[in-house]
Amino acid sequence: MTVATTRSAASGHPEPAGVDNRVVVGGAALTWRSLPLPTLSDPVAVLAHSAVHALTAARQHAVHGTELLLSTASRVDAAMRTELLEAGFTVGVLDDDGLRPHAPARPRAADPGRLWLLTSGSTGRPKRVGHTLDTLTTVRAEQPDRTWLCPYAPGTYAWWQVVTLSLTQPGQHLVVVEPDELDDWPTVAAAHGVDAASGTPTFWRRTLYRDAAALARVPLRQITLGGEPVDQAILDQLREVFPTARISWIYASSEVGASIVVHDGRAGFPVDWLDREAPGRPTLSVRDDELVVTSPYHGAGLAGPIRTGDRVQVLDDRVLITGRLDSDEINVGGSKVSAGVVRGVLTGHPAVAWARVTGRRAPVLGRMVVAEVVLTPAGPGDTNVPDEGALVRWCADQLPEHAVPRRIRVLTEIPVKETLKSDV
Amino acid sequence: MHSLGCRLRRMNELSRAQIRDLMAQVLKNQDKELPADDAAQLREIGFRSLDFSELALRVEDETGEELNFDAPGLRRIATVGDVLDFLVELQHQ
Repeated sequence: MTVATTRSAASGHPEPAGVDNRVVVGGAALTWRSLPLPTLSDPVAVLAHSAVHALTAARQHAVHGTELLLSTASRVDAAMRTELLEAGFTVGVLDDDGLRPHAPARPRAADPGRLWLLTSGSTGRPKRVGHTLDTLTTVRAEQPDRTWLCPYAPGTYAWWQVVTLSLTQPGQHLVVVEPDELDDWPTVAAAHGVDAASGTPTFWRRTLYRDAAALARVPLRQITLGGEPVDQAILDQLREVFPTARISWIYASSEVGASIVVHDGRAGFPVDWLDREAPGRPTLSVRDDELVVTSPYHGAGLAGPIRTGDRVQVLDDRVLITGRLDSDEINVGGSKVSAGVVRGVLTGHPAVAWARVTGRRAPVLGRMVVAEVVLTPAGPGDTNVPDEGALVRWCADQLPEHAVPRRIRVLTEIPVKETLKSDV
Repeated sequence: MHSLGCRLRRMNELSRAQIRDLMAQVLKNQDKELPADDAAQLREIGFRSLDFSELALRVEDETGEELNFDAPGLRRIATVGDVLDFLVELQHQ
């Protein structure tokens, strides 16, 4: 641990440096210090009943170093629960009545300071990745005072990113929204003076789609995107609403930590960042269209170059991350198409709020590019609503023939999962 | 039960005229027109393999059933009529 600490008068244990930062949760304005410290087993897998319980578990870890895996109940199925009990964790739901523990199948000594994250995993089966507060803390330089929105599911890598920032840096306050408040977050955020927010591109698209006027009332000075491929269209749309905010995108994962941070408002990162070695910084490389990261912030047990499973494409002077390697590439009659590139063209259409691009089995060619889109809400008297043909022609003007999606289905709502991703 | 299954499948089938409408839609999306003459050459109207694949997907979407693309052997498809015959036949596979 290298995070700065202060002494907790009550317990004699060191408190994290951000202990007096404001924390708004469930509509109540608290501080980290005023959150109760729950009594937890050690090691423990905490299934937080709500956002506030997740925060109390995080603070408990920061003070006592309890070996902790934090999640919501919905992300831990029966098989994972058994796996955790076998791995020596006490597993239990944490709510207002405290932890309701289930004893481990094979009790063991705790590994102090260890934090465990469940990654969604490219195979669909969640995987445990070991961290510490220190390896999860990626923002170390002193920051201007900010009030951060935390829209993420407790215990995910993105959630820990915002939480460690607030725990370890004085002046970094937190406004947490529960899943059922998510659609209305701009109102909550405006009421509590949120001026910095981090979310997936799907989260931002959904917010712009639902109520761009409400979003514009949030006094944002820092906008961060991550967790999914970030295309130029969403960066431009946010810039239009917030002309003076700093708009950043981050490439981070539980395996390699935060490895790429881009502030220039453009999709992708500069091509001259590739294969550049600097002490204490991740090295980025490309092998067979795959992003490879060698990072000082990777998870425990991982070392050296790590294949990320993310597909990249170099376009002019930028390296674009287009999607997962196993789903981004569509083979249309022998020609390779990047679903991410097609998605970028579709979302570049002024009337498209969101798009998903996939391959579909087809005669002669094997697979064909198809898409689903959500259109931006039409204003009064707005007659410029594109039909399938108009969107096909828009794509045909910008893409090679075999990459043009031929079937484009219009959905009425942007699909979103607990991770705030759309699996685009 | 077996005969009922057959009858249901037939109800979902598209007629030659319905497939012709879908084919016109494929071309219309590209600002092209489908000639009324079944003998029109695909090469002349610019209907290519991508368009053919799209048409097959449209037939699937209309009927809600997957076509068995592997069933028929290779054949020459050169005219509008060939495309329509082929897809009508494919629905029986």
